[in-house]
Parts: sequence; C-alpha cells; structure tokens
Amino acid sequence: MTNMFNRRHVLFAGAGALAASLAPAARATGAFPDKPLQVLIPTGEGGGVDQAARAFNRIWAKYLGANFEYSYFPGASGQVGYEVFISKRPADAYNILFGNIGPEMIMYATQKVKYKYPEDFVYLGSMDVDDSVIWVGSGSKFKTIQEMVDEGKKREITLSTSRLPHPSTIGALALAEATGMKVRMIPYGGGGPARSAAITGEVDGCATFLSSSLGLGDQARFLTVFNETNRAPELTNNAPPVNAALGTKIPPMSGQRAIAIHAKAVEAYPDRVKKLSDTFQQVFSDPDYKAVAEKAGTPWEFIQYGDAASCQKSAREFVELADRYRALLTATK
Amino acid sequence: MNLSFQILSDQFLLNFSYLWLIVIATTIGIIIGAMPGFGSANTIIMLLPFTLAVDVDVAMIFMVSLFVASHMGGGITSILLNIPGNGGSAATCLDGYPMARKGLGQQALVLSFVASTVGGMVTALLSIFLLPYIARLAFYMHSVEMVVILLFGITLIASVASDNMLKGLIAGFLGLLIGAIGADHIYSTPRGTFGFIELYDGVPLIAVLIGVFAISEALIMMENSSVLSDAGRQMMKQAGWKETWEGVVMSFQRTWHMIWTGIIGLIIGIVPGAGASIAAFVAYQQSRLYSKTPEKYGTGIPEGVIAPESANNGCASGDLIPLLVIGVPGGTTAAVMLIVMTYHGVQLGPRLFIQNPGLGYGVFITMLVAYAVMLFTTLPLTKYVSKLVLIPTPVLAPIIIAFTLVGAFAPRGYMFDLWLTLIFGAIGYVCRKTGFNVVALLIGVILGPMLEANVMRALRISGNDPWVFVSSPVGNVLWVALAVSLAIPSIVQWRRNRAASRAATA
Repeated sequence: MTNMFNRRHVLFAGAGALAASLAPAARATGAFPDKPLQVLIPTGEGGGVDQAARAFNRIWAKYLGANFEYSYFPGASGQVGYEVFISKRPADAYNILFGNIGPEMIMYATQKVKYKYPEDFVYLGSMDVDDSVIWVGSGSKFKTIQEMVDEGKKREITLSTSRLPHPSTIGALALAEATGMKVRMIPYGGGGPARSAAITGEVDGCATFLSSSLGLGDQARFLTVFNETNRAPELTNNAPPVNAALGTKIPPMSGQRAIAIHAKAVEAYPDRVKKLSDTFQQVFSDPDYKAVAEKAGTPWEFIQYGDAASCQKSAREFVELADRYRALLTATK
Repeated sequence: MNLSFQILSDQFLLNFSYLWLIVIATTIGIIIGAMPGFGSANTIIMLLPFTLAVDVDVAMIFMVSLFVASHMGGGITSILLNIPGNGGSAATCLDGYPMARKGLGQQALVLSFVASTVGGMVTALLSIFLLPYIARLAFYMHSVEMVVILLFGITLIASVASDNMLKGLIAGFLGLLIGAIGADHIYSTPRGTFGFIELYDGVPLIAVLIGVFAISEALIMMENSSVLSDAGRQMMKQAGWKETWEGVVMSFQRTWHMIWTGIIGLIIGIVPGAGASIAAFVAYQQSRLYSKTPEKYGTGIPEGVIAPESANNGCASGDLIPLLVIGVPGGTTAAVMLIVMTYHGVQLGPRLFIQNPGLGYGVFITMLVAYAVMLFTTLPLTKYVSKLVLIPTPVLAPIIIAFTLVGAFAPRGYMFDLWLTLIFGAIGYVCRKTGFNVVALLIGVILGPMLEANVMRALRISGNDPWVFVSSPVGNVLWVALAVSLAIPSIVQWRRNRAASRAATA
C-alpha cells in the first residue's frame, strides 16, 4: 500500500500510456506493419489467454514495431472465435488469432465447424506449455490422487472443467480408463466458475490447466499433473506426475498458447509472415518478458517457444486424442 | 481477515486524496451505464493502458468507481425513455417509465439514485464488516439453489402479465425459447441458430434490449407528439428543485425497502455467473410480493423503482467478493479487474486479506466514497436530465434509434447484430400493439439461459437424478419460500374477496 502516487504521477502515467497506445510505432521498420495488428481472442476478456496475450504482446510490440488491438469472440468452446477469424477477418497478416492449441484443436475435432485445418489457418508459433492438473478444494477429504482413484471405484467422481473439449478433460477420462475409476466431467462455461465450483465443494475437484489455478494459493490442493514431470513443484504442493503416482501411461495433456494466422496470408504475404515469426521468437530472449509473463500469472518454467512445425505436430496429436475420446466428449454416448 | 480501524481510516484518506479521480470515473461510469451497449467491462478494457500504468491502489479506485457508477447510470434511460442501459436496469422500466409519463420523472430519477446509493452503501458496509461470513454464502449457493432463485425471477412473468395472463405467458414462453438459441451448455451443440455463427453464443442480450425496448419504444413515440401525458407535460414544465426534494423524501420514507432489496442483490451477486439482471428482477418480484398494494406495481410507484435499483447496486458489491476472497472473478468486469490486479502482482484470495488487507477492504471503501460523491453529483442534475422527456418525439425518436443502433453494433462489431436489433424492434412493436408484455419476453430471454445452464449442470452432477433438486437443505428452504411466494397472492386475494363478500352481505 502506498500513498506516494500523486495526481501529477497519475496524469503523466495516463498520458504516457495513452501516447504509447496511439503511437504509430511501425515507422522505422519498413512497410509491414504500418498499422496496429488485430488480435482476435476466441475466449472471454480477462481469461488466461487474454492475460497471456497482453503480456506477450507488450514485449512483441518492441520487435514488431506495431501495437495491438483486441477483440473477443467467446462461445461454443472457442468455435465462434475461429469461425469469425476464418470467415470475417481479412487474410492480410494484420489479423492474428491468439488461442490455445490443445482445447481448440479438440473442439475442432469434436464439433461441427465450417473451417478446415490446416487449409484455412495455421499456428505460427507457441509461447508456453501449460500442463493439465487435477486439484481439490482445501476442505476436500482427498489428499492424494490415489485416494481419489480409490473412491472413484466406489462412486462417480465429479470434476469441474471450463469446457468439455479440453486436454484436462481427456486427461481425466484417460485416467478413469486406465485405473477403472468413474469420472463425470461438469463443464461450467468458463475457468472462473469451474474453479469456484471446486473450491465451494459443488464438485469433487477441478480439472484444468495449472497456470489458471496457481493464484488460488491454499484453497487448492493439487493431486496430480498430466506430464512426465511436475515443472512447478513448489507451487503445486509437490503434486506427483500422474504416471509416477499411478503407474499409468497417459500422454502429456498440455495446452500451448499460440498465435494462428490465415493459411492464405502465409501464401500471399510470406515476407509479412516471416517478420511475424522472427519477431515472435525474439520475445523469448528479452529479459523484460520474464517479468511481464510472471506478472500475468504464467510461471517462467512454463514459457517455451514452439515453432510452426511443433505447433502443427501438437495440433495433429490433439485431433487424434479427441478422435479417441470422441464419444465421451460429445453427446454421442 | 485483519480488519482494523487503522486500515479503514487509511483507506478513507487514500480515497479522499483521489476524490478528483473518483469524480472522473463515476462520471464516465454513469454515462456508459446509461448507454445501451456500453458497459463497464468494455470501458475498463479500453482504459487498460491507464490502469496498468498507475499504482494498483489508484487503478482499483478508478475501476471500482466506474463499475458502481455504471450500475447507477443504467436507470436513467430506463426511467425517462423506457430504454434500459443494461440488463440490470431492465426491471426499472416497469415502474420508472410510468412515473416519467405521469410527469414524475424527476422524482423517479432521484428515487433511482438514492436507492442505488443506499443499496450500494449498505451492502458495501456489510461486506466490510461481515466479509468472511458473506463470502461463505458462495459455499451454499450451487446450481440447485440457483435454479430456485432463477425461478423466483421467472415467476415475475406471471406478475407483470397480470393484465392479460395468457398473452403474458405466451410472451414469457417466447422469451424462454429465444433464450434457448445458441450452443448448449454441456456439449456446445448449436440449437436454433439457423447456421448463423453470430448466434452460437446465444442471442445477444443487447440486441434484444435495444430492439424490444428502444426501437419499439421509439416507433411508439413517433405516433404521439410527446412521451408525456398532457398532465405530465404540464407538471414537467413546472418542475423545479422541489421535485428533487420530494424524491429524496419519498426515498427515505422507504429506507428499509432500499436496505432489504439491496441485500437481495448482495446475496445474488456473490454467486459467480449470476448478475445484476437476476438480482433486479428477483428484488422487484419480492418487493411486489410483500407489498400491501401489489396491484399498483407497473403503474409507476416508488417501490418499483427502488427495488431493482437498490438490488443491482447491491449486486455490484457482491460481484467483487468472489474475486477478492477466493480469487475467482464473478463477472466480466471482475475478470478485467483481475488482469490489472495480477499485472500488479496482487495475490488474490484469502492471502490478499493477510498480505494486503488495505487493498481488499479498500475496494469497499472506494464504493462508499464513490456513492457519496455520486449522490452529490447526480441529484442536482435530475432537474435538468429529467427535461429530456420534453423533447418532441419527432426529434427524440430518431436520435434514440441512431444512438442505440450504435450501441447494438459496438459490443461485437457484427452487422448481423444491427439486423437482429431491428428484427427485435419489429417484434417489440408488434407485441406492444397487440398487448403482449415485452418485459415478460425479456425476462424469458435473460433468465432462460441461466436457468437452463443451472438445471443441466445440477442434473449432470447428480447423474441425471431429478431428486437432486430437493437434495440440498438450503435449496429446500428456498423451494418452500418459492411455494409460499406463489401462494401468498392467491391467499391475499381470497381473503380480500371473502372480506368483500362479507361486507356486501352485512
């Protein structure tokens, strides 16, 4: 708490921020970009992707020489945003989509969408790897994932999730398949309500990405991580990786926040796309990025650059996973 | 949670040192609150460069002031033009606009501002002193309980449609059907979207609000030369400061009414995902239920303005409690505040009140100061703002249509939303001309999707066991209260009829 900020500071800060947001920062770097980039976010304002995108773009703007304008198109597990991006946004490389490969490729595979991957869009690069976890509220009787599995063999365990097409959903279903426990996923239409349901005890636990739950502190007890190692043990009460705890062979269930661009833009504007890719990568070696990423709630251990090829590999893996669990993720069962 | 006199006094001093900022933020908030299509969340997002650049205390003072002011501002156009600025002020139209038509627009505005202030202040004070207990309410308000609370709101359809029950119920049912358009809440399967991607996230509330209220009202207006009745016009022309004072007196004659309806808003606001529109409709329904003159609701009575306005500001206090106490935003504006607080490294949840109690409690102190400021800035304006209704309708109606269509376009930037707004305008116009209640339709559109989501969720948690709806003690108490609230009007009517028949035979 500080009272040192006076009216003049506030006015200067406000004017500075306003000037920064309005400045045509592109002048020095050539023809592209000569106007702000339009960022479409297929989830709600204030969500994990929004926070991560804003943090990343704050640094990216330095290298790209342009500012960013945001629009939000949540709905139908991200489908609305992708449909709008593909059908209504010009394929000029000024329009990018900031999304999450895991949930949104599962959505692509399980819902009736009007676009095609990779014919209509491609991922240019990813900025982090966020593992799926299962956690319970502090008042829960489950202290370990083994206890939850044991109970799940006697009765159905309810786990909240933001949306059914999500890597953590597949992780929980794969866990159930591997151990014989019974799990029912409860989608809440958003990360906030899903976390709230687990904290307040409406459901037994929450399956979600790790970074979105780190701010909950002592209210969340992490039971397991869906990866081969727990990369943030001190933030997750040293929760064990699922395979180490239970002897299962469940593949990593991670999300990768990434930027996508129209496939037509890649063909029509290779120079622009190259500049986007090159400058995107430069951000990761900027020391300032660590500070802003951590402020946005993403532990530095999760920050990891992924190029277009690795994004494509990941996207295809999630489509295969979704196909495998299609019946449980859709109303066909 | 370490609350002390020192923390509170420090926070008051801090807020008073930023009084100028509170005045700016509340002014912006009231203006955007009164404009359909513009909300506090959008505005705070646009101003992120400012809130991220300044100290977190200053950012919170600015955002919280703007947020509560937007709740207060929504009532202005509801009262004067029958056009709600947002979902939370839709219920205010029910009695606010009839008051304005009678030439009591100035008093109605004062009622709205005072009720918002009292509702907001009382709930902010309760939040400060009872925060740990109030926050626990979220642990008892799950999907089952929300189903019952939403049914309280939906029963209002029958109340507002009492003039013509059949048509009212048809309008309400149509609203529920419209509310069912969009991707389903479990599997995201689109329903009733006709292939329009713009409808996958449901029919946008703003398009319905603007179409059914603003556009249809403007069309109706054009059939007359004035919004006001002849008597009302005379009264408005002569209105001065006396009417403002009358409004203040009317408000404080109903102090308890302002307090308990505000508390309804607070309780509903605490539930993540619930919002000001449910709070306002439920408070209106409860206010009507326990009134000695329920038949006067909808004709322009002070209680009909006080209840929704106090509740939607009480809801604003409740909205921020999940964010502060458990670190989970309860609504869109709270989610945007989360961005700012996280950026500044603020640890939310229980640790906030251990590590930085001043910031946690400071939110509610800011509300108290902002409401006090708004009372002094808004009350003197009522005399002038209320004159808006004196503008001849050939001038007023086109302005309303132009401004509100901008509001319909602004939130999502779809041309589709403009066409949708015009379609709803036509539906609203036909409804009004044929005696179908548009408020009943709106209640269905607003509350229907929330009811469906909570019903589906409760059933899914229980493995599709319908007994889940009577499985919770709190839910069962609410069911009994709902049954009583449905029975009371019939019992009261029966007793009145019996008394009347006895009097006639005597």
